[in-house]
Amino acid sequence: MLPIVSLTLFLPLLGAIVIMCHRNAAAEKVHKIGIITSALTLLGAIWMWVRGVADPGMTGKGFAQVEQIDWMPSIGAAYRVGVDGISLPLVLLTALLFLLTFIYSSKVRKQPQAFVVLMLILETAAIGTFTALDAILFYVFFEVSLVSMYFMIAGWGHEDRQRAAQMFFIYTLLGSLPLLLAILGLYLGGETHTFDMRVWIENPPLEGGAAMLVLIAMLFTFAVKTPVFPFHTWLPAAHVQAPAAGSVILAGVMLKFGTYGLIRFALQMTPEAFREAGVVVLIFGVIAALYGAFAALAQTDLKRLIAYTSVNHMGYIVVGVAIAALTLDPEIRAIALDGSVLQMVSHGLVTGALFFLVGMLQDRAQTREMDQFGGLLKTVPLLGWSFVLAAFASLGLPGLAHFPAEFQIFLATLREEPWAVIVILGIVITAGLYLKAISQVFLGASNEKWKTMPDLDRRELLTLGPLLFFIIVLGVAPSWVLNMVHQTTIALVF
Amino acid sequence: MANDLALMLPEIIVLLTAVAALVAEMLRQPRIAFFVSIAGLALATMLTLPLLGEQATAFSDTFRIDTLSIWAKLILLPATILSLLLVRAELGGSAREGTAYVLIIMITLASLIMAGAGDTMLLVLGILLAGLGSFALVAYPRTDAATEAAMKYFVFASVTAGVMIFGLTYWFGGTGSTLLSELVILEKSPALAAIGFIAVVIGLGYKAALVPFHFWAPDAYEGAPVSIAAYLSVIPKVGAIFALAQVVRDLPVESAWQWIIAVVAVLSMTYGYLAALGQQNVVRLLAYSSVAQAGYFLLGVIAVGSSPLAFESLIVFSAAYAAMNLGAFAIIMQVGRTLEAFKNVGRQFPVIGVAMVVFLISLAGIPPLAGFVGKFLLFGAAMEAGFTWLVVIAIINSVLSLAVYLRIVVPMYQPSENEATTTDIVTIPLVRQVWFAGLLLTVFIGLAAQFLLGSIS
Repeated sequence: MLPIVSLTLFLPLLGAIVIMCHRNAAAEKVHKIGIITSALTLLGAIWMWVRGVADPGMTGKGFAQVEQIDWMPSIGAAYRVGVDGISLPLVLLTALLFLLTFIYSSKVRKQPQAFVVLMLILETAAIGTFTALDAILFYVFFEVSLVSMYFMIAGWGHEDRQRAAQMFFIYTLLGSLPLLLAILGLYLGGETHTFDMRVWIENPPLEGGAAMLVLIAMLFTFAVKTPVFPFHTWLPAAHVQAPAAGSVILAGVMLKFGTYGLIRFALQMTPEAFREAGVVVLIFGVIAALYGAFAALAQTDLKRLIAYTSVNHMGYIVVGVAIAALTLDPEIRAIALDGSVLQMVSHGLVTGALFFLVGMLQDRAQTREMDQFGGLLKTVPLLGWSFVLAAFASLGLPGLAHFPAEFQIFLATLREEPWAVIVILGIVITAGLYLKAISQVFLGASNEKWKTMPDLDRRELLTLGPLLFFIIVLGVAPSWVLNMVHQTTIALVF
Repeated sequence: MANDLALMLPEIIVLLTAVAALVAEMLRQPRIAFFVSIAGLALATMLTLPLLGEQATAFSDTFRIDTLSIWAKLILLPATILSLLLVRAELGGSAREGTAYVLIIMITLASLIMAGAGDTMLLVLGILLAGLGSFALVAYPRTDAATEAAMKYFVFASVTAGVMIFGLTYWFGGTGSTLLSELVILEKSPALAAIGFIAVVIGLGYKAALVPFHFWAPDAYEGAPVSIAAYLSVIPKVGAIFALAQVVRDLPVESAWQWIIAVVAVLSMTYGYLAALGQQNVVRLLAYSSVAQAGYFLLGVIAVGSSPLAFESLIVFSAAYAAMNLGAFAIIMQVGRTLEAFKNVGRQFPVIGVAMVVFLISLAGIPPLAGFVGKFLLFGAAMEAGFTWLVVIAIINSVLSLAVYLRIVVPMYQPSENEATTTDIVTIPLVRQVWFAGLLLTVFIGLAAQFLLGSIS
């Protein structure tokens, strides 16, 4: 059988090497290579989707399409990749967002080679993080993504990029090192010394106090990455200074590392400890969701506003995972996890679209201050209506991507920890702030300054179209993703 | 006796190489001295290969041929060759060029002796021999700074060596022997064992530039030619760390040696990086970074005897450290010693920029590079030995280290204020080859650590 996971994983890296070998290629050609490579990667991801996550003989211990070769047999580390219903939708999301980002960025003329190479390395790292089934491999991809994002922000960001990039790098490195500790703890705690994540998931190697310590280390890592209040302070700075492409990937893909890790590592490898600590995590999730919404309300900068709504949306996922950890009923657990995974995908699509739109607005106006705009819906109807659609999706309007996800999370919450449903207040607040933003930027008296603003061009439509399409599709018919997710979540045993 | 000589063959070849290079230098043939040195070291490396897997001692247990000492040869001899290339590039054509090669080979020999020491006297011999060569090398340029640095180095060495020998007399008194393997007897008298060990840590800590015995290092590296600093920051350090590992193998746990090591490790890692944060001179910055890295090495030393990962981690990290540190110094030789000189280098010379970034993030321990694998194994070893808290401190310091190394990375990609003053980087022959080799090794050890791990165990 064709090792399609590995092919998909290393295709972007191959593209990066091709570009590095043609150091004098023209910018158009470089961007073309980037687009073609990421399009092929998306095809690979679709192929993986078609193969599905069924694991008939349980040969992959809950994972399908497993591919492995020895790497460091002396210490039990190997190259192991594979997917299940939790990771596969994220791989597909990653591949889609990268392709669109390449299309959107094809206008970059500042060191295009380095830009495309970094983005391609980042794509491999992102797909690797979601498909790795070996803890060291996971950590390697996790960190490589960090390094490439650092250079992305530092090289192509806005005014204060150096400081933001350093803050991002140091903060998230500080965040990820406890994971290293946790990995070593799980490695040394197991009966057989291995870094195989499947073994750790099947037989959690630690229990009692040791498991709790490992869980705390992992929670810290993923809380920084997600980010959960009060570890979120790097996020607005990084987002505001990052180029639009960077913001899309950061919010759309890299924040998911946190919640994916929360499920894959914290929930699956230390389930007992997570159950004990579940209420604390739940409280953190609720606070993050509410805090993110309130903080977003206070923003005047459109990009910061969207950055803070990410804190809000990711907070719901943390709530969902905490509920899954707390409950003893497999059905509620499946609902909570289905909602969480779907929320990751929806957030990637919606926030991706919103950051693209802000980027497009900034390209035209060189500002993101909302009070500078007004009445844009008349001057740039396509851009305006796209924003309205994405904003409605983001606030959880039924029929759009976030609704089915958040609905399931709230449903599970109501059945397990009814008090936590106060988190639903977040939706009210986000509704308010998006309406405020829409009325300030797109409605009202139009500003003379923007009379000549051009509407979306072909490249931009090509970028946004697929996202808006999937936002609607996922809202109307989420089952094609949910079925895949459910297949895995219902089979989880703790 | 003949068997002993056969086991020591690589060391003997190294000694003969030094002698041959000295003769060539006396005949005023520095070129020949250079080539003889390279050839001799390469020969010694190759002769080490058949010894792999050997577990023996030579000359009545005074010298150990074991995993550590064999790998010390396989790492330090090639590293010395790379250093010689750098020295040739920097000092080639100067008046006493050949003496530098001779001294370097002697220091390497001393480091190998330390790494395989089975006897306290051999340990002292190694430290003194390495010291003598180092003073002369630091003072080589005959500038005020160099002379001052060498003088500091010398005074420091004399005091620490004195203290060490004094402390070793306690061990001799307690065991009636100078052999390290006899130290197990001290089980009943932990205080005696501890006093001797503190003295050994002072002596070897000075060689490895561990806090608080590191004061000479930044001055010496700054005063010395860059290539000499590169050499001194790698070879004698690894030799001394391996010597420490040889000592603690037989030391009874009751002496609390692990705690002594732990304290020194914490001090070195933390102080090294904190001090590096304030440096403007890249050589001084890397000097403090090498102080901190020495602290990381101790995580492997602490696990000797309680974790099978101890030796593997020490060896892999030594190889990684040699590759990345020599590489970083080679780039400094090409670019310049100040942070100012690094401005815009990454944009103007993308390949040099990428290479330097690779060395620096590998030093910070970011995957998938050599430094990560090394540190990962070190952490694993220390945790298995029950020193999780020490690993936590090491990890916090890794974050600090990132801030340190970014101080070089950031200016490399900052646009300079006026494009007209862009620096011209002269391509020095040999230096390019050295950092390129370092780059390949840093990536290779990171991705294919199994290559090392497989042959160690």
